[in-house]
Amino acid sequence: MKLYLTLILLLPLLGGVINAVAGMRLPRRLAEWLACGAVAGSFACALAAFVTYRSPVTVELFRWLSAFDFQAPVTLYYDPLSAVMCLMVTFVSGLIHIYSVAYMAGEEEYARFFSLLNLFVFAMLTLVLAENLPLLYLGWEGVGFCSYALIGYWYRDEKNATAGRKAFIVTRIGDVAFGIAVIWMFQLFGTISITGINGMGFLMPGGVITFLGILLLMGAMGKSAQMPLMVWLPDAMAGPTPVSALIHAATMVTAGVYLLARMFPLIGSSGTALAAIAVTGGVTAFYAATCALAQRDLKRVLAYSTISQIGYMVLGVGAGAITAATFHLLVHAFFKALLFLGAGCVIAAMHHEQDIFRMGGLGRRLPLTFWPFVAGGACLAGLPLTGGFFSKDGILTAVWLKGGALYGGLYLLGLLTAILTAVYTFRLIYLVFGGASPAFPPPLMGGGEGEGEGVAKVPRLMEAILFPLALLGLFGGLFNISAYLGKGWLGGFLAPLSGAGEEAPHATEMLLQGIAALLAIVGVAIAHLCYGGERRLARVEAAAEPPSGVVAFFLNGWYFDALYRFLFIRPFETLSRVLWERIDEGVIDDSLDRLASFFGWSGKGLGRWTSGRVSVYILSFAAGAALIIVYFAWVVRG
Amino acid sequence: MIVPLLHVLILAGILFVLGLVCVLVWRANIIMMLIGIEIMLNAAMLAFVGGANRWGAADGQVFALMIIAMTSAEVSLALALVVYLHRRKKTVNADEFNTMSG
Amino acid sequence: MWPPKGNHMGLPLQRKIMEQIIFYILAAATVIATVFSITERHAVHAIVYLVTSFFALAVIFYLLGAPLVAVFEVIIYAGAIMVLFMFVIMMLDLGHPEKVGTPGIRDWWPALVLAGVVFAAIVTIVAAATGSPAAGQAIGVREFALVLFQRYGVAIEIISMQLLFALVGALYLGRRQGKGEKP
Repeated sequence: MKLYLTLILLLPLLGGVINAVAGMRLPRRLAEWLACGAVAGSFACALAAFVTYRSPVTVELFRWLSAFDFQAPVTLYYDPLSAVMCLMVTFVSGLIHIYSVAYMAGEEEYARFFSLLNLFVFAMLTLVLAENLPLLYLGWEGVGFCSYALIGYWYRDEKNATAGRKAFIVTRIGDVAFGIAVIWMFQLFGTISITGINGMGFLMPGGVITFLGILLLMGAMGKSAQMPLMVWLPDAMAGPTPVSALIHAATMVTAGVYLLARMFPLIGSSGTALAAIAVTGGVTAFYAATCALAQRDLKRVLAYSTISQIGYMVLGVGAGAITAATFHLLVHAFFKALLFLGAGCVIAAMHHEQDIFRMGGLGRRLPLTFWPFVAGGACLAGLPLTGGFFSKDGILTAVWLKGGALYGGLYLLGLLTAILTAVYTFRLIYLVFGGASPAFPPPLMGGGEGEGEGVAKVPRLMEAILFPLALLGLFGGLFNISAYLGKGWLGGFLAPLSGAGEEAPHATEMLLQGIAALLAIVGVAIAHLCYGGERRLARVEAAAEPPSGVVAFFLNGWYFDALYRFLFIRPFETLSRVLWERIDEGVIDDSLDRLASFFGWSGKGLGRWTSGRVSVYILSFAAGAALIIVYFAWVVRG
Repeated sequence: MIVPLLHVLILAGILFVLGLVCVLVWRANIIMMLIGIEIMLNAAMLAFVGGANRWGAADGQVFALMIIAMTSAEVSLALALVVYLHRRKKTVNADEFNTMSG
Repeated sequence: MWPPKGNHMGLPLQRKIMEQIIFYILAAATVIATVFSITERHAVHAIVYLVTSFFALAVIFYLLGAPLVAVFEVIIYAGAIMVLFMFVIMMLDLGHPEKVGTPGIRDWWPALVLAGVVFAAIVTIVAAATGSPAAGQAIGVREFALVLFQRYGVAIEIISMQLLFALVGALYLGRRQGKGEKP
């Protein structure tokens, strides 16, 4: 077991380091295979560890930080939660790695890309497997750094670099809260072992637990792009599409959910903290769904849908349904990776055109992309019997079971969001794949090769990757089938984690699932009414107009960026300008400048004294001597 | 002592100041500067001799003699320098020799 | 100190008063000759005034009981040094006041200000330092020589070496440039 866990971590690190150090000197094929092989090996180890898993294991690799009673060894903790996370991360990352080989075929600096991808996986696995909070924080920050570097991968374009910085800075706000929480927990409990802290939660008064929960929630907000720190994720689309898939599907954004789930035994005892978590998740889910309705950029739609789905997961954690949240996390990782990778295929086919109103007719031209994409969309929309349906329903059921006005309202919000999700998903599918041909064919025709009219060929490898993901997304429900159909495997596996969750009566559960299914179908129907068939063309023509009213409001993400600009960035800039121009230049620099110029001026004046004229020297000498004599006289008289 | 030491010293002070004025004023003529130095040295000698008289000790007079010897050495060197400088620049104006200018 | 009480050194009071009068006359002569000397534009005349001043000073030395110094003053100062000045002036042909620049008002006022300050300071110091009654006795050649050679032998050596150095330096500075070296 120790060997497996070590190798899970070491292989991606090794691949990343080798690629970083010698990647450009290796043959391209070798570098690519090294990166893919490292992650594949890591997956194999994760699988082996999973198969041999019996009970939670703690493995201390070596001592890292040790000062007085502060001990932070590099210790790995392997329990059901980290087991499924490891499997998911390594599996999805592995597929994304292989996909990247095809997607980044034209890139020059492939070594940097693959090395960062590997390091990203390493950091994520560190985060998942960490037994103590400093190590988790290390992985947390490593993920943040790698995402910064990957979002800004095409850093020569100012826009991409800015997006990377934005992601880094916004997540940093959450990280600060998380860091405070870590230090505070050490101060409270005298240990930083996660299992230790979780076991001692009952010792603390409720207020402290609530506060810790909110600090952790803030950390999760930054990493998982929840309200109000969600503004970085849509902009993070500036990175290459595989990176978007990696960050937004499999790994980084789920880190916040993972953190909350991991610390759930601690914070679960505080109703206030859970309510805050649930409200954050519910509101974020609704917010992002509305924004996704109006987006024009293919990847931004998916980004907002990611925020929305993570909102569901956070809502699930807030409702105490760790199993449901983790289940949704897994299924979401599969179908969202699928959607992003499918989007990558579409974008590659459209010569890097990302405006969905300029696409169309791809259903017939790219069938191998189209059907997996539809499968992913069905999962996202929560159409009955797909994996997404079951996982989302599990969360909603848990929220419903919580009862009360707050959770009741959140349940209704969740249902509304479910309709919106179905609408925007199928709006996307209709716009991208429906219709006869691209509404505005890209100017670059690609030499008319292949199936004509500007649609380029998509590498077979990229499309091949979509199928396993589509299968996993569609049949992901089997991992945790509803209670009335039998015993859910995942629920049983994760049972030691979430404790004895209350079971819904089968009738209630079926009723709730029926409502959810109905709503999803209603959403699809609305999308069909608005975008299906001939009406699609009208929509496309209408979209040529600049957006206004509600559409513009949604398109710009409720103007949160503008609000933050107004609330934080503008005052900060003003303050900076005042400090810079008034204080720094006006007072500090100016006084120094004046002092310097005074000395320069006096030096020049004194320099004129040394004119080389003997008489001046004699006069000065005599004056000095006179001064001394006068001093003597003064002393004598005094 | 025939007159108070104070008077002798005041006379010496007057002579010294006159020598100082001479040095400071005559920058157009190095020879006059040297003369000013001689005057100041004489004032110093006067002060020494007055002191020797006042305390009845010969030491002051010895120092007056020293000053005379030193002055002769100084004057011979200084005048040699004046000759040398005059040979180079054809002038005795002290301000002409400004090659020390920074 | 003044008027002297009693009869020091066994001198008659009349002679003492005579000497005092002579002292003040000589002091006035010294000062006046020096003032003329430093304001004289003609260098040769200035030397002559200075010689006058030095003669008067030599007599003052004599009156202050230092006959040997008075003799040296006349022989070395008024005799040798001033003549040396005169030689140089004549050798360099500086006897023409119209060729040489004269001090202007801009040269005078800082000098006078400094002189005033220094003089005031000297008077202050001197006036504060009046002490015990005067001895006022003449010092003979024998006594002088004893002190000079017994107590200040080293100083004599140093002075003699200094004179030697001055001799060598003056020779070096005053030598003609080699024929072929420099025009």
